[in-house]
Amino acid sequence: MARDLWEPSGRPIGRRAFLARSAGAALAMSGGGALLAACGKPSEPSKKAAGPPLASPENPVTWPITADNQPIAAGLEPERNAVLKLYNWTDYIYKKVAVDDFQKKYKKYGVKVEISTFNTMDEAIAKIRTGQVDFDLFFPTYDRLGKIVQAGLLRPLTHSYIPNIDQAWPVFKNPFYDQEWHYTVPYTVYTTGVAWRNDKVHDDVAKLSNPYEALWDERYRGRVGILDDYREAISMALLKNGITNLNTGDPKQIDTAKQDLLLLDKTVKPVVNVKDYVDLPEGRTWITQAWSGDMNNAQYYMPKGQDPAVIRYWFPADGHGAVGSDLIAILRGGKNPVLAHHFLNHMLDFDVAMENLGWNGYQPPLTKATPEAMVTDEYIPKTLETTVVLPSDFDKGYRQLELSPEVDNLWNSAWQEFKAGA
Amino acid sequence: MATLPVQRPDATDVEAGPPTPPKQRRRRGRRVSATSGARYPRWYWPAFAAPGIIWLGVLFVLPLYVVISIAFGTIDPLFRTPVPTWNPAWWDTTALRTLLGHIFGSDAFLAPAFVRTFAYVTVATALCLLVAYPVAYFVARYAGRRKVFYLLLLVAPFWISYMMRMLAWVNLLSTDGLLNRGLVGTGLIGGPVNWLDGRASTVVLGLTYGYVPYMALPLFAALDRIDPSLLEASRDLGASRARTFWRVTLPMSRPAILAGLVITALPMFGDYFTNDLLSGSPGTSMVGNLINDAVSTPGQAITGAVLVVLLMVILLIPMLWYVRATARADTEAGR
Repeated sequence: MARDLWEPSGRPIGRRAFLARSAGAALAMSGGGALLAACGKPSEPSKKAAGPPLASPENPVTWPITADNQPIAAGLEPERNAVLKLYNWTDYIYKKVAVDDFQKKYKKYGVKVEISTFNTMDEAIAKIRTGQVDFDLFFPTYDRLGKIVQAGLLRPLTHSYIPNIDQAWPVFKNPFYDQEWHYTVPYTVYTTGVAWRNDKVHDDVAKLSNPYEALWDERYRGRVGILDDYREAISMALLKNGITNLNTGDPKQIDTAKQDLLLLDKTVKPVVNVKDYVDLPEGRTWITQAWSGDMNNAQYYMPKGQDPAVIRYWFPADGHGAVGSDLIAILRGGKNPVLAHHFLNHMLDFDVAMENLGWNGYQPPLTKATPEAMVTDEYIPKTLETTVVLPSDFDKGYRQLELSPEVDNLWNSAWQEFKAGA
Repeated sequence: MATLPVQRPDATDVEAGPPTPPKQRRRRGRRVSATSGARYPRWYWPAFAAPGIIWLGVLFVLPLYVVISIAFGTIDPLFRTPVPTWNPAWWDTTALRTLLGHIFGSDAFLAPAFVRTFAYVTVATALCLLVAYPVAYFVARYAGRRKVFYLLLLVAPFWISYMMRMLAWVNLLSTDGLLNRGLVGTGLIGGPVNWLDGRASTVVLGLTYGYVPYMALPLFAALDRIDPSLLEASRDLGASRARTFWRVTLPMSRPAILAGLVITALPMFGDYFTNDLLSGSPGTSMVGNLINDAVSTPGQAITGAVLVVLLMVILLIPMLWYVRATARADTEAGR
C-alpha cells in the first residue's frame, strides 16, 4: 500500500504529520542526487522507462540477485561493538524490544541499536539513495520494493540466519511482491475498515448492508473521519460502490469514487487526517475509516474514566476488504549485515513480536499469534477482535499495489479535487 | 558650511569643479568618519551587510531557485521524485499550465481554495489589527510602570510553540472542552457546540489567535515612540481626545499598521496546520494545505512547487504595495 501519508501508530501523541509535511521536507527530498544532477538539458525520460515489473498476487515477482550484490556467507560471527542502525517510520517499533532487548541478547558482541525515523517513503528513499547514510535495516512498503531492489539499495537475505521465518505465516516465504523472500521478511499486517463508538453511533455498523455507507450518514455530520491517504480514501469509496479493484485505471470508476467523496464533503464535512487512533477515543469523531492496528492502539488514548470498550471496528467478515502488510529489509549500505540478519530473526520471535504488538497495535503475521492468543493474552481487547487479521483475510483481501504513473495521476487528481474542498 | 573641495585635499574622491551644495557633499564624503575623520577602504561599510547577504543567498535565494527549478522540472520516471531543471532555457511549463487551468479554467476545482484563503486571511488580519491596536495603545500609553510586565505578556505566546498552542485549542474547543463547559454552565448555549467540525469561523479565530502577537509588537513599538508632546500640542491647539487620535496618533502609527498587516498576512497565506488541527475538513482547505498535500504525495512534488511559486507571485502584490507605501511615508517624513 502506498502509505506515504501514513502515520503508524504509537503512544506518544502529537508527533510527525505537522513537521513532516512541511515544505521544508520537500526541499530536503529534492536535494541529494538531484542537486548534483547535470546542469545541462534534462534527458527526456522515456515514458516507458525501464521500471521494474508491477508485482501483484496475479503477477508475482521474483527479484533477481545480481552478481555484484550477493548475500553474505552463512555462519558468520556478528560484528563486534557495532552500532546497528534502524531506519523506520516514526513511532512504529517498541524501543524496549528493538533496542534494549536486542542489546541485552547480543551483549557479548557489544552491540548498540540506534533508531532513525522517517515520515514518508519518499523522504526515506531519497535519503538512502544519496548513499550518505549507512542504515542497516529499513521498513519499506511493498509497492516500492521493486524500485529499491532495482536501484540496488537492498542486500539479499541469507536465509540460514533467520530460522524464525518458520514462525511467520507460510505465505511470507513466498509473497507475491518478493517470491522466495529474497529481500524481505514481514513485519506487520493490517486491514482498513470502519471504526465507530457504540455510545454515539446507535446503529450496529457491522450489521448494515453496506457499512461503508455509514460514513455518509448525515446524522454524524462533523463527526466523521477519513484517512488522509489518497489510496485508502479512494479505495474505500470504490469498495462502497462494489468496485473491488483498488488499483483501477478506469477513469469512470475513479470518477464514481471522486463524486462520492465530494458528496461526503458536502453531507458530513469529514475530518481528513491520520489520527484515527486519537480522534475516535477523544470523541472528535464518532465514526471513522480506520486501520486495524490504530484501533488496537486507540484504547490507550481513551480519556480517563471512559470505557475503551465503546470502540468497535468492522472489516468484511468474508475478508473482502482492503488489506496490507509492512516489511523489513536489509540495506546494502549498512555496515553490519550479520547483526542485521540477527535483528530480522529477533523481530520474528513470537515473544518479541507480541510485546511489540502490545505497544504499537499492529499485528505480526505469526502462526502462533492466533486471534485467541492475542485476545486471551489481552494484546487485543475482546471488543476489537475484528481487528485481528487472519491468513484467510490476507488471501482474499484486496491490496493497494503500485500504480503506473498515468493511473496514479488520475487517482491524485481526484484526491486533489476532494482535498481542495471544491 | 559651504566649503570648497580644496579645503579637504585628502578627500580623493572629490571632483574638481564648482562647489556643490552642502547636502550632496556630505553624501560624497560618507567614507570619512564623522567623528574621527578616519578613512576606510571602499569595501568596509558594505562588508557589514555581508552576513545578511550570505544568509539570504544561501538560505533564501538558493532554496527558492531549487523550488522554481522543481516547479519547471521533471519527475524521475523510476522513483517519481522531482528532478529540478536548473537551466531556465529548458523549463517545462506543463505543470504550471495544468494548475492554472485548475484555478481559472473550466475545471477550476482549486479556485475555491484560493478564494477561501484570501477571505480567511483578510478577516483574520483585520481581527488581529482590531485586537492588537487597543492592546498596544494601552501598553504604550497607559501601562506606566507596568509596561515591561505587559510587554512580557505580549511576547509570552512566543515562548510556546505555535503547534502546541493550536493543540491546546483543540482541547479547549472539543465538545467536552472548557469553552463548551463554560458556555453551557453559564447558560449561554443550550448544548455543547462542535467547534471542530470544519467551521470557517474556528479556522479564522485560530489564525487570529496565532498571529496576533506579530501585529501587537510593531504597533507597540510605534505607539511607544510617539512623542507625548505632540499629543499635548494637539490638545493645546483645541483638538479633542478623539480628534487627537485621528489626526496625530493614527497617522503616526500608519507605517506600523502596514508592517503589522504584512507580517501577519504573509505567514497566514502559507499556514496549513491551523487548518489541519482546528478543522481538518476539505471544506476549509487553504492554499497551504494544497501545497502540503502535494508535497507529501509521491509524484506530486512539481504541483507543490508550482503552487509555492504561484502563491509567491500573488503575494508580491501586497508586498510591493507595502514597499511603495513605506517609501512614500519615508519621503513625507523627510520633507
